[in-house]
Amino acid sequence: MTSFLNNLREHFPEQVRSVEEHVPGQFTVLVNGPDATEIARHLLTEHQARLVTIFAEDRVKAEGVFYLYYLFDRLGDPSWLILKAPISPENPSFPSLAAEFPAVNWQEREIQDWFGLEAAGHPNPRRVALHDNWPDVHPLRKDFPLDTVLPPFEGERHIYRPAHGEGIFHIPVGPVHAGIIEPGHFNFTVAGEPILYLQLRMFYTHKATEKLFENLPIHRAVFLAESISGDSAFSHGTAFCQAIERAAGIEVPARAQFLRTILLELERIANHISDAGAIANDVGFAIANAHAGRVREILLGLCECLTGSRVLRGMVAIGGVRRDWQQAQVEAIESTLQIVQREFRDLVAILQSSNSTRERLERTGILRPQKASMLGVVGVAGRASGVDLDLRRDHPYEAYRHLPFRVPVYQAGDVRHRLLVRIDEVGESMQLIRAATAQLPDGPHRASAQPIPPGRCAIGAVEGWRGEIVHWVRTGEGNCLERCKVKDPSLNNWPAIVEAVEGNIVADFPVINKSFNLSYSGTDR
Amino acid sequence: MTERLIENAAQLFLLLALAPLVTGVIRTLKARLQTRRGPAILQPYRDLVKLFRKGMVVPDTASWIFAATPWVVFFSTVLAGLMIPMVAADAPLGLFGGVLAVIYLLGLGRFFLALSGMDTGSSFGGLGSSREMTISALAEPAMMLAIFTVAIGAGSTGLTEIAGAAIGQHWRFLAPAQMFAFAALALVLIAETGRIPVDNPDTHLELTMIHEAMILEYSGPYLALLEWAASIKQLVLMTLLINCFWPFGLQPTWFGFGAVEGIGWLMAKLFLLSCAIVLLETVNAKMRLFRVPELLAVAFTLGSLALVSTFLF
Repeated sequence: MTSFLNNLREHFPEQVRSVEEHVPGQFTVLVNGPDATEIARHLLTEHQARLVTIFAEDRVKAEGVFYLYYLFDRLGDPSWLILKAPISPENPSFPSLAAEFPAVNWQEREIQDWFGLEAAGHPNPRRVALHDNWPDVHPLRKDFPLDTVLPPFEGERHIYRPAHGEGIFHIPVGPVHAGIIEPGHFNFTVAGEPILYLQLRMFYTHKATEKLFENLPIHRAVFLAESISGDSAFSHGTAFCQAIERAAGIEVPARAQFLRTILLELERIANHISDAGAIANDVGFAIANAHAGRVREILLGLCECLTGSRVLRGMVAIGGVRRDWQQAQVEAIESTLQIVQREFRDLVAILQSSNSTRERLERTGILRPQKASMLGVVGVAGRASGVDLDLRRDHPYEAYRHLPFRVPVYQAGDVRHRLLVRIDEVGESMQLIRAATAQLPDGPHRASAQPIPPGRCAIGAVEGWRGEIVHWVRTGEGNCLERCKVKDPSLNNWPAIVEAVEGNIVADFPVINKSFNLSYSGTDR
Repeated sequence: MTERLIENAAQLFLLLALAPLVTGVIRTLKARLQTRRGPAILQPYRDLVKLFRKGMVVPDTASWIFAATPWVVFFSTVLAGLMIPMVAADAPLGLFGGVLAVIYLLGLGRFFLALSGMDTGSSFGGLGSSREMTISALAEPAMMLAIFTVAIGAGSTGLTEIAGAAIGQHWRFLAPAQMFAFAALALVLIAETGRIPVDNPDTHLELTMIHEAMILEYSGPYLALLEWAASIKQLVLMTLLINCFWPFGLQPTWFGFGAVEGIGWLMAKLFLLSCAIVLLETVNAKMRLFRVPELLAVAFTLGSLALVSTFLF
């Protein structure tokens, strides 16, 4: 990374103001506001860097500026690179990258909505995170008090792209759906059964989570992080704790790292198995779902035995984990895994032997690798479409650097391959858990509590079962947070569904959607 | 005359009472195969009672078609049910050419159902109607061909004559024409009753529904009528299939001790057929919508072969 940064400084001698390794492995490059886009473009095109996320911060009170952050990583380099660009409150605008790199489309618009910084030149600068009928407020600015009560909304509602032509019509679905799922609006334009295009509307469950973080003591913020997306409670919690630990320089004991690793993988297995069943259920193959539910139940029982919570809440803590395990609990892992492995093999056999299921999943909802990388798709959906990313391997954390595992990647990008990625990962995760249990070191399960110094920034990044989860924090006075940016994998992957459904028939949408299985809550925050 | 009336009343009672039971048995068997406990067998009756007691929400956009449809569907289905031999070969009603009337009474119900799906202006209803019509346009000819095969054997399209002929002769089920016709009618049964692999009766996904999408706007007593009619239709089609092809235990008349025996046979045969349906639903996923016509094309081909074989063998 050092040589790369020197290279960058040589290439942009005027623009780069300072380079700082603020936390080991995390480099911040301070640039002048308008230059950030040029450098970002250079990194993306010349150095095959990947723009992980882009976010803003209100430092007007403290430093008189807004900051815009571009978070990058590079293939084969475990460090993170952050471009930090000040934006003056007098001219609250920044040049948009969305036209060239559609991956940042929604994220730039989020910044627009939440901070009132204009993404100049954005091809579609309409509201996204706050809906169209909201008044002109910018809730993530520091001068917007959390307890503000807004008057009833009277603004105009969102206008969808119209459709004209013989036999062409709209099917509006949601935001309230049948079944136990979260709210989101899907507006299909169809010609009979085939879908011409799909328009998405998210952020119905926007809870201003990032704002809530700024008012919580850090130890309580862990619980908030756990509830960002209920099915990824442990992953989100761990990502948040990692960010705080790195910012404060807290060394997590080796045993805690292994315990976290085991729990992260248990969360992955439980969710992947339930997804495998749910995908089958959406094509009417209910028996596979019944079995998947049964296997998942065994795993949730294990989770309860290990942490007291079926969905692994309340276990992760700053500096390690809240509870240590006794020998009997560690042995329960192995004995349960044996049952799960056998049952899962049966489940896979049921799925693979059903030709009618295979026929429904094959070549359905294809997301081409080229589109996937353009949209910055991550996680399971990305790996099924040739996007070879996995934070566990690329930016090793916790105990992953000591453990062998394989990252399955497919090119086909259809529903069936998204299912195959999950099936393969369950196998890998079981091996990971076995290896971690075998090597489980002794020692404390949590670092001793210490005050968190203010003004420190750091990234925590975890490969959740759905994809990469990134938390960025700036600590504040009195054990509180100044800012916490949360990046859930769903945010990048929703627009990919739009691509994947095109040309498919309406009746296949549910199974395509299920094969991505994105979090509404994580997207909306 | 009184005898006719009693026959009609008895068969009417049997249709109304037995139909939810068949639905309940199928659901329970399915749940058991999925390692679930499932609802009680009598749950469909409780659902009907519950729905009849409830209030209704009628969309503002609905016309008289919306209100008429449940009645038309219910009565046309029951009327069709009175025209098929259930316990006795002698069907209580024999109007307008027997089996043809049965097919077109069911067709009338479907026509109104499709209209009501579009009547409210909801996009799901329209989607359901268009899918239902696509499927039935293919299912109907296949059904006709299969039925004609049987009718030619009996020399009449009257169901009483067909069933009577089936009882009188030795069992001819293994004749090629009968086999083909049976297979064709079985496929049509799956499609018409909205079962996997054609439609999924258990789904909550509006976008994949066919029959359920059309009745999505109904609630309360209207929904109860439609649900009841759907299970009666299922019973009618199942009875038609079993009594045309496996006429064992079919009594010459409704009267005497034979009726009890006839009902016993009917239940036993319905249970067997339900088991077969459940097994088929469990081991198969739902077909992709555009593959359903291929399935029905198979049914049509089988029906044609059946008809041709009648003249060959």
